[in-house]
Amino acid sequence: MMNAKTDETIVRLEDVHLSFGQTEVLKGIDLTVNKGNAVSIIGPSGSGKSTILRCINALVAPQRGRITVDGTRVDQLAKESERIALRKRIGIVFQQYNLFPHLSVLDNIVLAPTRILGVERREAEKLARELLDKVRLSEKAGAYPGQLSGGQQQRVAIARALAMKPELVLFDEVTSALDPETVGEVLWVIRDLIRDGMTSILVTHEMRFAEEISDIVVFTENGRIVDQGSPEQIFHTFDNPRIRQFVGGLAGGRGPVREGI
Amino acid sequence: MTGLFVNLTNRLGLNYEFLATGYEAQIWRDGFITTLYLIALLIPVSLIAGLLFAACLTSGKPWLSTPVRAFVEITRNTPTLVQLMFSFLVLNTFVSNLVGGTQNNPLTPFFWVVAVVGLHIAALHAEAIRAGIEAVPSATVEAARGIGFSALQILRYVEVPLALRASLPAIVNNLINLVKLTTVGNAIAVSEITYASIMVWTQRDNVVSLMIVILLFFSIINLAVARIGLWVERKLAIPGYGL
Amino acid sequence: MTTAVLSEQRRSGRLLRNIGFTAFPLVIVLWSLADLTLGRELVTWLPYLGSGFMMNVVISLCAMTLGTTVGAVFGILELVPFKLVRYPVVAYVQVFRNAPHLVLIFATTYIFPFEIVVAGNYLPFPDWLKAVIGLAIPASAYVAEITRGAVLSIPTTQWEAAKGLGFSRGQALRWIILPQCLRRSLPPWMNILASITMGTSLASLVGVHELLHAATDASTSVRRLDFTIIAYIVVMAAFFTLCYPIARLTRRLERRFKTA
Repeated sequence: MMNAKTDETIVRLEDVHLSFGQTEVLKGIDLTVNKGNAVSIIGPSGSGKSTILRCINALVAPQRGRITVDGTRVDQLAKESERIALRKRIGIVFQQYNLFPHLSVLDNIVLAPTRILGVERREAEKLARELLDKVRLSEKAGAYPGQLSGGQQQRVAIARALAMKPELVLFDEVTSALDPETVGEVLWVIRDLIRDGMTSILVTHEMRFAEEISDIVVFTENGRIVDQGSPEQIFHTFDNPRIRQFVGGLAGGRGPVREGI
Repeated sequence: MTGLFVNLTNRLGLNYEFLATGYEAQIWRDGFITTLYLIALLIPVSLIAGLLFAACLTSGKPWLSTPVRAFVEITRNTPTLVQLMFSFLVLNTFVSNLVGGTQNNPLTPFFWVVAVVGLHIAALHAEAIRAGIEAVPSATVEAARGIGFSALQILRYVEVPLALRASLPAIVNNLINLVKLTTVGNAIAVSEITYASIMVWTQRDNVVSLMIVILLFFSIINLAVARIGLWVERKLAIPGYGL
Repeated sequence: MTTAVLSEQRRSGRLLRNIGFTAFPLVIVLWSLADLTLGRELVTWLPYLGSGFMMNVVISLCAMTLGTTVGAVFGILELVPFKLVRYPVVAYVQVFRNAPHLVLIFATTYIFPFEIVVAGNYLPFPDWLKAVIGLAIPASAYVAEITRGAVLSIPTTQWEAAKGLGFSRGQALRWIILPQCLRRSLPPWMNILASITMGTSLASLVGVHELLHAATDASTSVRRLDFTIIAYIVVMAAFFTLCYPIARLTRRLERRFKTA
């Protein structure tokens, strides 16, 4: 966990408010992420965690507030082409992996670099195979998503996001849809990634994992950040009864049963 | 009124002068009404025949299901126009011979259009209803048998209500095709709207003007059929069932 | 219905289905052999009927090619976020989906001129070509609808994944959405193919020399009731042999896609 951490801010959210129609989802979010850091966002469902991630790479737009990603004012991007340029610099991995079913694993990873960045096919394949090595799926290069297990598909999804050489990666509850047995293999990959110094923002229910790899843990509820600090502070020192109750309910280490996941 | 309409449309370049004359307007109006009459007749005919066909197909008795199945496949995979010509040229002649001459033959071309188109669409309905019955989950039927219902009771209380809702979209689709199919009457001189329009435009050379009316006519009728179908679907919808 | 009855049905069903392929030709051959004068008449007229049937096939293929290319484009245009583009296309699709094929064939036949002027030369505008356009119009409307339906049926998560990687809308459509649409559009497209193929017989009513027209010609010339019967059976057999396998294939593809 000690690798090229800086105090250079790469993502900053200031007083971000976001509503979907009549429903206010984010009610004033302030968040700072430094380069090389891993930030975990935890909290009950519906507290706006996934929406925070989607603000950062301009998949959704806030009504109020400032969002800055490495010098770019995301909230001020007016044209779709500017937002697309931003998204090429940020990787995102979804809960439902969303692999492209009509392409093989290798083609899934190679598609974006070749079609968007104009990388030569051979070079892209080389990178793809390196990434498959990293996620320990080299032998599945020719397989199709339908032939893989959930955990394997998620690892391919991570490799696909990394193929664009992003400056930071967003993980949106990437293990929530997996069998308990396959969760471990995905967390393994993410841990590796963070150890190598990739700036990561994770929305997760894996408390022990969050405690292990995070530099900062953020607790959200009802569209607001209730508390944030180091894992030690959030999970042990701070005496916030709400956080205690939430984490205590997850004492088994898996997702909260009462939240209907 | 008609004079005003003719003047306005004339300015747009469309020719509806035939509406002002007595003879041509009458022919065209009759054609219009004939088509509506055909549609009004064909919808119930096709639905009733369709139900009968569906009952035969799912009866489980090969002497009922096989001939119906054969008919369904033949009528689905051959053009309706050919079926109509065959019926009118061949079957009608048989009937004439049977009753001792064409003057005694009570069957008009109008009848043949209703019979052929009606049975063709009935075959499509039957397929839709059959698919609807097969879409009823076997677990549900099994549960009904477990409760002690007889086969007929299961049909009445479980299968038909569910099958009806499942097959409704396909049936509405078939009815739209039925409306379009009424135009085959053209081939055997049934004076429906297209035939009447041809008679007018060969004299007046106002094809485009009449075409616009015909296209509008069918668009409106099919829109109405689709809307009514949607309304029926919504009325019959079971909350939470996803049908 | 017990499983025993169902399997019995399935067995007789399979027998029936496979009979379907040969029943028509069998009837024709047996009858021609039974009455040799009839058989001889039929054989003399067969080339005429055959050339007519070729015309049906040509019209169908041309109409489907034209209709599919135009229809696929229109289907995508129905989904663009510009009202000025969407509204006219939606209007076109709604009008021509609901128009009877015969009306459109009449429209193209009566409205288009006898010949067209291309670069100073007078080229004849043949009737069969007008029939092609007359059938291509509804084909394009149907294809537009199934294209739109197929694109909308792709889960939004695919769009999200594409956007997350940095694809533009057009790029996502080209590389990710449309390739997936192709597979699921195939069964409905084959339905349209069968429908248009059967629609080609309507061209007989505007004088195009296709199979039905040829059969009517032949039967008025021979003036024998049994020849008329067998001629029309030949017509039905020809269309059946073309359309029945398409229908079977379509159903097999539908089933395969449902379980996939």
